Amino acid sequence: MGPDPDTEETDIARQVAFRGGGFAPTPYRWIGLAVFVVLVGLAEIGTQSGFISPLTLPKPSDVLLTFAELYDSGLLWTHLAPSLTRLAVGAALGATLGIGLGVLIGLFSYIRAGMVPLVAAIFPIPKIALLPLFVIWFGIDEASKYALIAFGTFTPTVVATYGAVDNVDRTLIRMGQSFGMSWKSIVRKIILPGAMPGILSGLRISLAIAIILLVAAEMLGAEHGIGAYILEAGALYNLERLFAGVVILSLLGVLLSTAIGAIERYVLRWRT
Amino acid sequence: MNRRKAITLIGGAAATAGLATPALSQNRKITVGALRFTSHSGSFIAFERGYFADAGLDVELKFFQAAQPMAIAIASGSIDYAVTAVSGGLISLAQKGAVKVIGGALSEEPGIDGQKILASDAAYKAGLTSPKKLDGKIFGMSTAGSSFHYMGSKIATAEGASMKFKALQKVGAIIGALKSGQIDAWSIVPHIAKPLAKSGAAHIIGNVSDYLPNYQITTVFTSARNAAEQKGMTGDFLGGFSKGVADYNAAMIARTGGKDGVDDMVRLIHKYVYADRPLEKAAPSIINGTMRLNEGAALNLTSIEDQLKWFQSETLVDADVTMDTLVDTSYVKTIRA
Repeated sequence: MGPDPDTEETDIARQVAFRGGGFAPTPYRWIGLAVFVVLVGLAEIGTQSGFISPLTLPKPSDVLLTFAELYDSGLLWTHLAPSLTRLAVGAALGATLGIGLGVLIGLFSYIRAGMVPLVAAIFPIPKIALLPLFVIWFGIDEASKYALIAFGTFTPTVVATYGAVDNVDRTLIRMGQSFGMSWKSIVRKIILPGAMPGILSGLRISLAIAIILLVAAEMLGAEHGIGAYILEAGALYNLERLFAGVVILSLLGVLLSTAIGAIERYVLRWRT
Repeated sequence: MNRRKAITLIGGAAATAGLATPALSQNRKITVGALRFTSHSGSFIAFERGYFADAGLDVELKFFQAAQPMAIAIASGSIDYAVTAVSGGLISLAQKGAVKVIGGALSEEPGIDGQKILASDAAYKAGLTSPKKLDGKIFGMSTAGSSFHYMGSKIATAEGASMKFKALQKVGAIIGALKSGQIDAWSIVPHIAKPLAKSGAAHIIGNVSDYLPNYQITTVFTSARNAAEQKGMTGDFLGGFSKGVADYNAAMIARTGGKDGVDDMVRLIHKYVYADRPLEKAAPSIINGTMRLNEGAALNLTSIEDQLKWFQSETLVDADVTMDTLVDTSYVKTIRA
């Protein structure tokens, strides 16, 4: 009993501050942009002053100018349209098949036993090395490009997906079984939603790989495309065009990552 | 012999030895870039027969897989001299003040077997039997702005044909595409063209020299700094290189040494080109690849000018690049043909 009976806090010996919080990413929108601005600013100052030679790095302002020319001439869309198509078709094919096989591996032990070594065997193959073969198999036109991107996104998606299925909380599955849920119901209501965070973070990686492979896919016989544009700029040692192309790929990467972020927020709204 | 006579003799010998090696670049270490092609024989011969050493240069040969990285290695100062085709990339590097063309190497010459125009078997059977029928066909090239692009475009213009160009990055990929009929036509040096035609996978339908009679295919180039500041060393290099070229032309084209001369030369070149095949198998390819190397590294300015203009007209390089930016004519004899 405290000396002051009027206050109610007398029962509490000691106040404890809230110890939760932290360890959760908080969105700070502008810091990412600031990092970009500072880096590009430094490059601009360096190239303007001659500290960085034109052979080492192009002036960021010249790159912007090249980009503007590309946009004005309408060539941007001529290059972007085929690339986006290749990316969409290839990545959709690879990711769908990858998620499909990944879920099957996660659910069925026979498929796991048969497929995991196979996936492990084809994962480290540099897909670029197979490009000439793909040209023979699928022809020099679009099909070989779709195939290369699909093949490249397929393996990481499979690995991420069965990993995600494996990581679904077993206690939840046991709980479903205790409540008498059917196998189908458990898969649909517990396993798939539970694996979704892992599948989506796997997709982030697979789609980045798809963008990387876009340049490789356009090495052979592509007349238009961002990858073809970058390769041509490299062959001509035109650094402004090279960087303009690379910036487009980076922007594509940022856009795709944002899109997956949005999908994550929608699909995983049950988490919060 | 008395003592005075002996001293005079020794002094004389020392003086002659001193004259033989230029004072400017005694045993300077330089690096020369090369591809494993017969067109680079000038460097191989000068190296093997000690012509570089005679010029006072301690040369190290460095091998590349493609011309593009070699040009960049020159620009970055990793290597000093190299031989490569004039391409959009080379012109861009010259514009950035990094490289300079200082001499000529491989060139087309009417009357000497040169680069061939090939048609794929499928296209040949469908009627592509002469360059006159190239209209609407697909022509293979490594990259936009490569020498293949230039040749194809020039042939098309001459025949009033409109062709599509397919960039396939590597010679191996182009050969694959030609064999499988994914491209219709291509132009390439004779030692690649002839075996392809022999195997039946492709057919020779014309000569590049019919369209570009004195085409300067490859040039000797160096960094702009070497060309401007290392005049002695650059002159010495070109001197040694030219001796190698003279030996090559004499043995392989004029055949002054007869069959033995050719065999000797092939054996020397085989150390560098097709070294993975036995000599008997490599020899025909090396002999098939024989084309004129410019005597004294002379440079055909008319051809270079035409190439520069073409690259500019295709907007592959900047319109304000001049011949002076690209070429330093102070080292070798220039040709107008």
